[in-house]
Parts: sequence; structure tokens; C-alpha cells
Amino acid sequence: MQRTGVVLDRVGVVYTTNDGGSLEAVRDVSGVVADGRFVSLIGPSGCGKSTLLDVVGGLLRPARGGVVINGEQVSGPRRDTAMVFQEDSTLHWRTVVGNVAFGLEIAGVGRREREARARDVIKLVGLAGFEDRHPRELSGGMKQRVAIARALLLDPRIMLMDEPFGALDQQTRMFIGRELLRVWEETRKSVLFVTHDIQEAVYLSDEVWVMSARPSVIKSKIAVDLDRPRAPGTMGSRRFHELTSEVWELLRVESEKALDASGELRTTP
Amino acid sequence: MNRTSSGGGTLLLRPPLVRAALVLAVVAVLEAAARGGLVEPLVMPPPSVMFARLVEIVRSGPFVTDLVVTGATVATAFGLGGLVGLMIGILFWRFPFSGAVFEPYLVSMYSMPTIVFYPILLAVFGLGTKPIMIIASTMALIPVALNTMVALRAIPPTLPKLARSLNCTRLQTYRKVLAPAAVPMVVPGLVLGFIYAVIGTIAMEFILASRGLGYRTGFFYRSFEIADMYAYILVISIVAIIVNVGLNYFERRIRRDMQ
Ligand SMILES: Nc1ncnc2c1ncn2[C@@H]1O[C@H](COP(=O)(O)OP(=O)(O)OP(=O)(O)O)[C@@H](O)[C@H]1O
Ligand SMILES: [Mg+2]
Repeated sequence: MQRTGVVLDRVGVVYTTNDGGSLEAVRDVSGVVADGRFVSLIGPSGCGKSTLLDVVGGLLRPARGGVVINGEQVSGPRRDTAMVFQEDSTLHWRTVVGNVAFGLEIAGVGRREREARARDVIKLVGLAGFEDRHPRELSGGMKQRVAIARALLLDPRIMLMDEPFGALDQQTRMFIGRELLRVWEETRKSVLFVTHDIQEAVYLSDEVWVMSARPSVIKSKIAVDLDRPRAPGTMGSRRFHELTSEVWELLRVESEKALDASGELRTTP
Repeated sequence: MNRTSSGGGTLLLRPPLVRAALVLAVVAVLEAAARGGLVEPLVMPPPSVMFARLVEIVRSGPFVTDLVVTGATVATAFGLGGLVGLMIGILFWRFPFSGAVFEPYLVSMYSMPTIVFYPILLAVFGLGTKPIMIIASTMALIPVALNTMVALRAIPPTLPKLARSLNCTRLQTYRKVLAPAAVPMVVPGLVLGFIYAVIGTIAMEFILASRGLGYRTGFFYRSFEIADMYAYILVISIVAIIVNVGLNYFERRIRRDMQ
């Protein structure tokens, strides 16, 4: 088995529901995020993307299979892994600096050092001038950037990001996406990135994993063979369009299945 | 404070001034009614007489003792009830099964006049501070426990998840994430608990004690020293108002600091 990177080995997750029943969220997911690679997960809502990220982050024990990071079985949260959650995870009683520095504070870094470093990262995510504000004074997208900055500041080998740009408008999304790429190109962390946005997935990634409806399997792994560093022009290229249409086609079928299963939509093909 | 004139533009129509004027008007009406013979002196003496007695009483030795005794009882009852309430709230949240089993008891105790249990406590513990303490701290405990439980349950699951992903120790999780997240809802519970501790203590002193503000009020009532009784009622009201203003200030401070 591969010694470096993140290896998902036939991961299956079953939740126990409140009424004592069980719900199979993830059926069988295998894959490798090789060291320094950027992989996007895309799939219909409720298919288990966040669940899978929790498993890789050591927050959730899978019912079947497991995850190996750099040769070590994942049994809990790791120092070399940082997470950005889908929901707001800012601490409302702390300032932006206090929030961003929180991870380092827990890691035992002294106040002066962690706050100085936090201020640098805050500039990087475009929040300069908001250092001493509280989350209630920020927009949803700004709060997500606080969470991204907190994860970046930990300088992890592996970043697990769950729709970090979900609350952003298209333009800001593109802009921050480009910033993220810049940082990533400098640091070459391994990234597992959940998104709903096909263009974003293709633009950022080395590989796009398309997940099926729940209980999920990986339906297809699409290698993105666009040159790096990617420029805004990349999105106008023909290859980019081919790739996005390919993902879109795979995803369309699964989204319909997912909606069908939940009885929200009846479509005739 | 830096408030723009909300409600009532001119200086004279500011709400606090209107409130003060209302109080003065009521006092004036009562004074006129008592002096004019509309109200029996045994029911209510003129306010001016009450105030005169109030000043004398406040300077007297027994009053200071009463105040200290009642204050100490309230503080102990609140300290005890608050602490146990916090622990029960945390317990019910941490072990949802215990919460599901015991929470209805707590809620029904909330609506029950706990004071009716005093004959039982009296039989078990006898006269003195013990039964007072038990009733007052039980009353204080209930809102603290319920608010603490609700506050902890209302914390978005992402926050403990964040704490876990950062490898927080259990202590760090409580101290740096759960406690500050819960504080805005726990503090109002503590404020209510304090008010309940005061009510419980004074009500029990009426029937069970031989010292304290509540006891003294009842004593004057039974010995027909009505002016003195009213003076004590006034003292209790004034102390309660001061404490309440203090607690509200404290609550707002905490909320602001926590934001
Ligand atoms: N704690 C839980 N207990 C029970 N079921 C859960 C729990 N968390 C998630 N689920 C279920 O597992 C399935 C997958 O959830 P998950 O949050 O991983 O989906 P997702 O792919 O991230 O969706 P979205 O794109 O909408 O964020 C859903 O059907 C959800 O209802
Ligand atoms: Mg999700």
C-alpha cells in the first residue's frame, strides 16, 4: 500500500438515527490523495461528502474500511490535518485574530507569536482591517475565510475543506479560489475539497471525484490535465469545457437519483 | 450611557423621570389617604411615618444583624443552589438519558410552590437555618439547571467538532469553547436563581426563623407595629431593587464581554 498521502480504503459509514434505526451514508469509497495533490469531492446533496471528510479528519469512525495517512491508520484527529467545516465554526466571543489564532493557542504557541502570525494569514485571506472585529460583524463569507485562515495557520500537511466558499458570491469565490491556489502552489499541501461548484472543482483540482447518491460510492475519478499554474484564462480553454461537461453529465444523473429517492422531484428523462 | 432620546423628546418626558414622578404621585396619594382617615392606621400608616421609622430602624443594631443574617443565608443558598444547578444542567446535557428521565421532575418543580414542603423539612431538621437553606437553594437550583441544560444543548455541533479536530483536552473544550458559548444563556438562569433564593429565604424566615429581615417583618406584623413592618417591607424592596439593578448590569456586561 502507498506510504505517503491519504489513502481511503473501502470506507463505509453507517449512522445510527435518533429513532434507533440505521442509515447507510457511505457505502464504499476508496481513493488516494497523493502527497501534495488537490482533490475535489463533488456529489449530490446528502450523499455523504461531509461524512467522508469527518472520517478522514478522524472525527468519525467508519463502519467498514479505514483511512491511512502517511502510512498510519487514522484513529483520531491528527496534528498534520486541519479542517474547515461546512457550517460556521467561528467562536462568537472572540475577535477575528482570536479565532484565527485559536488552533495555535491549543497547540501551545505563545500569545505574541500566534497573534502576529494570525495577522499575516488574515491579510492573505483578504480580511485585513477586520482583525479586531467579532464574527457578528462579519458576513457569512468572511466567517468562512476566518475558518480557512485558522486552518492555514496550523500549516498542516493535509487540508480538509468542506464547501469553504459556499457562502460566497461567484466573483469573490473565484478570487478567493485563486488565492487558495496561490497559497497551495507555494506550500503544496494535500487538499481534499468539497464543493457543489463544477467549475470550481475543475479549476482548482488535480482530480475530481464524483460521488453517487447515498449510499455513496465514487462513481468516477476524473483527472484534470490542465496546466499549472492555472490562470483565469484556463477557464476559457476548450479542455476546461470538456472536463466540466463530463463532470456535469455524471452529476446530473446522480442528482436526479438523489432527489427522486427523497421524493422531492419526479422527472421524466 | 450614551443614549439618544428614545421615546419622548423633551427632557421632562424622559421615561426615567416619568417613572420617578409616578412613584412620587402614588406616595402622595397614599399619604393623603392615610392622613385623611381613608385608610385605617392599622392597615397602613402614612408613608411619612414609615420613612421616619425606616431611618431609625436602619440605624439600629438589630436591623444590621437581620440584614447580615438574611444576606448570608441568601448568598449561601444561591452559592449552593447555583453550583448544584450548574452540575445538574451539565449532567442532563452530557447524559441525555438522565436528562430525559429527570427533566420533567425539574420542570414540574419549577411550577410547584416549593415552600409548601416546609412542614416536612421542619419535622426533619427542626427550626433554624437548615430548612430555610434547603428550600431557598432548591428554588435557586431549578432555573440554573434548566437554563444551563438548554444553553449547552443549543451549542451548534460544529463547535465541539472544531475542538475535537484541534485535539483540545477535555478541560480546554469546556473552558475555551463550551463555557463561553453557553454563558449568554446561563447567566439569565443564574440571575433568576438569585431572585428565587431571595424569595425563598425571606418567605421561609417569616415562618421558620428567629432572625433575619423576613422574620422581623412577620414579628412586627404579629405585634401590630405596623409602621415598623412597612419600614421593613420598604427595606426589603429597596435592597431587592438594588440587587436587581446590579444583576442586570452584570448580565449586560457579561453579554457584551462575551460577544
Ligand atoms: N449525525 C448524523 N446522524 C444521522 N444521520 C446523519 C448524520 N449526519 C449526516 N447524516 C446523514 O448522512 C447523509 C450524508 O450526510 P452528509 O452531511 O455527509 O452529506 P453531504 O454530502 O455533506 O451533503 P451536503 O452537500 O448537503 O452538505 C445524509 O443523508 C444525512 O441525513
Ligand atoms: Mg456537507
